[in-house]
Amino acid sequence: MNIKYKLASVVSKTLCKVCRAVRFGGTSFPGKAASIIYPNALKEAAKNYKIIMVTGTNGKTTTTHIIGQILEENGIKYITNKSGANLTAGIASTFLNSIKLLGESPVRTALIEVDEAAFNKICDFVEPDILIVTNFFRDQLDRYGELYSTLNNVRLGVQKLKNTKLILNADDSMCASLGRGSDKKLVYFGIGPNAYKNAEKPAYSDAMYCIYCKNKYIYSNYIYGHLGGFRCTNCGYMRPPSSITCSNIDELNSSDSLIQISIESSEGNKIKKELYKTKIGLPGLYNIYNSLAALSCGVVLGLPVKNSLKCLGSLKSGFGRMEEIDAGNKKIWIILVKNPSGFNQAIDLLTKAEKQSQIALIINDKVADGTDISWLWDVNFGKLQRASEETGNIFVSGIRAEDMALRLKYDDFNTAKISIIKDYDKMICEGLDNSLEDSSFYILASYTAMLDIRKHLKDMFGLKEFWE
Amino acid sequence: MYELRICHLYPNLLNLYGDIGNIKTLKKRSEWRGISAKVINLTIGESFVPENYDIVFLGGGQDYEQEIAQNDLLKQKSNEIKNAIKNDKVFLCICGGYQMLGKFYKTWDGKEIEFLGALDLWTIGSKKRMVGNIVFQCDFLQSEDCDGRIVGFENHSGRTYLGPEVKPLGKVLSGYGNNGEDGYEGAIYKNVYCSYSHGSLLPKNPALADHLITKALKQKYKDFTCLSQLDDKFEILAHDSMIKRVIGK
Repeated sequence: MNIKYKLASVVSKTLCKVCRAVRFGGTSFPGKAASIIYPNALKEAAKNYKIIMVTGTNGKTTTTHIIGQILEENGIKYITNKSGANLTAGIASTFLNSIKLLGESPVRTALIEVDEAAFNKICDFVEPDILIVTNFFRDQLDRYGELYSTLNNVRLGVQKLKNTKLILNADDSMCASLGRGSDKKLVYFGIGPNAYKNAEKPAYSDAMYCIYCKNKYIYSNYIYGHLGGFRCTNCGYMRPPSSITCSNIDELNSSDSLIQISIESSEGNKIKKELYKTKIGLPGLYNIYNSLAALSCGVVLGLPVKNSLKCLGSLKSGFGRMEEIDAGNKKIWIILVKNPSGFNQAIDLLTKAEKQSQIALIINDKVADGTDISWLWDVNFGKLQRASEETGNIFVSGIRAEDMALRLKYDDFNTAKISIIKDYDKMICEGLDNSLEDSSFYILASYTAMLDIRKHLKDMFGLKEFWE
Repeated sequence: MYELRICHLYPNLLNLYGDIGNIKTLKKRSEWRGISAKVINLTIGESFVPENYDIVFLGGGQDYEQEIAQNDLLKQKSNEIKNAIKNDKVFLCICGGYQMLGKFYKTWDGKEIEFLGALDLWTIGSKKRMVGNIVFQCDFLQSEDCDGRIVGFENHSGRTYLGPEVKPLGKVLSGYGNNGEDGYEGAIYKNVYCSYSHGSLLPKNPALADHLITKALKQKYKDFTCLSQLDDKFEILAHDSMIKRVIGK
């Protein structure tokens, strides 16, 4: 073992322990320090692993989480960057900390979530065996620039890879384009044209015009945002056929959904098609996509489908993206909202909640949230307004509480019912006090607001540390 | 009853950073006063008929979509828009829309792209993006109720320079503004108002929103004098809290 490499991993491991001891949840700092000592530390550490990588703008963490469940169900041990430390330094920490200084590590699989803006750079050091790209939606434009540059950045990374199998979203014209003309092994997942009957034509779309020839797409069906059965009548670019397909959505509830899945595989020159019915233990259309992506990964790994479906059925919401907290005989849900598409999906979910629920919206504008919050104007709060007419107050909080309140006013909320409460403890108490027995208090929060509110809830109800 | 017709140009292409907030604000602030407000979406291939609109809004988009819109603007709507501006039609143009009304855009590596040329201004691309909260002073908005300070968020790499025919919209108090050099932000020419402060410029700055509505109604109705007062508690809260954060007072 190279001495600098050894030193780098010792430093990384030690710093990690120190960070935890002083209760500083720094998961990327140790990797940064290690990379300074030995710049190729990441490359060196990653080379002994079979690597599954997940990137895209939305759903990375949930997809990574589901794949983790599937690996566990099949008895496969793996390392992963659990707490969303998905930039280069965080990923370096993950690999370096798993190194055994004496002897080989028995763990051979790495499951890594990668920030879409960091992906290209990561590809200089790490070549995954399987790469899953979830989708491309507008997200934090102040940080990453335009959506097309995010896509191009990922494309540059993909071009560096040689033997990687790609798992792509067929319904996303931008994501699917990563596979067009590629000589890599490709697996597409998607929701079939007749699966979802209640789709509305989206009010705005991130990709209305053909990525190749700038002609307007026509859609055979919409799912949400720009996802659906797109086709360019000019150059012929269209949704590619998917081999892992949700063929019908039987039920969409506020806590889960029931769907049918068809899996196509080729045996020799025959195409085999198998149909399954399954429950997905997380709500919302976006979690159907996350589940399909994870299931595709299981299929590519050659794992039994029944094991994967068992995992989908028993999913419990993971850290932050959507987390359920018991507060006596009431429930608190925390849902991460970070871009219009995700926010609209979260609102969709709230409108499906059976009982009257209390709602809080918490918006921060720190760097990790995106310092520009004008995307709130692209969210459709009209649906929430109609749903909240009966529920009474709506709470707004966070650094940009005033902007959030103003945004609601312009979607016809009754301003007398909007309470701006900056004190989190006070807001949580009021929200719970106003909740009926056995009902839920939904807290929708931007990234750093979610971390903050979690700290308060941890003191009140005892939650796990987020790096656990 | 008064009626305001708002033309939203290329809403499906130029809708970056919540530009729709500006449309919502013009519409709601009219309706809350009993003025009927109608939004007319106008996109590629559709003709621009100035007499059908009282306010025209042109936002910003990603380069990819902006190129599609720009082609249509120059080929299909150029003369009509120039005439409307000459005839004092009220326009609000943000970011990319602001740049497109100018004469040209010169990329950082020297390539020149011809723009509409309706306003005496031009833009030079640079590699550095000017991103962040911005506060600027608009003296024409000063009144008993308003100190004339506007707060927004800018995100652009183009540096815009104004010719002698065009006046700046305001003086930068914090942020970059047009080019990060001369201390000015935006542009005014006749009834055309331009700004780099994108998405949701109007909601937090009701004085500017009302100024545009007033201008448009005065153009249309000879008997119109002024707008009635609204309860702007939330608007003022959002405006003041950001100014306090950016400027400190």
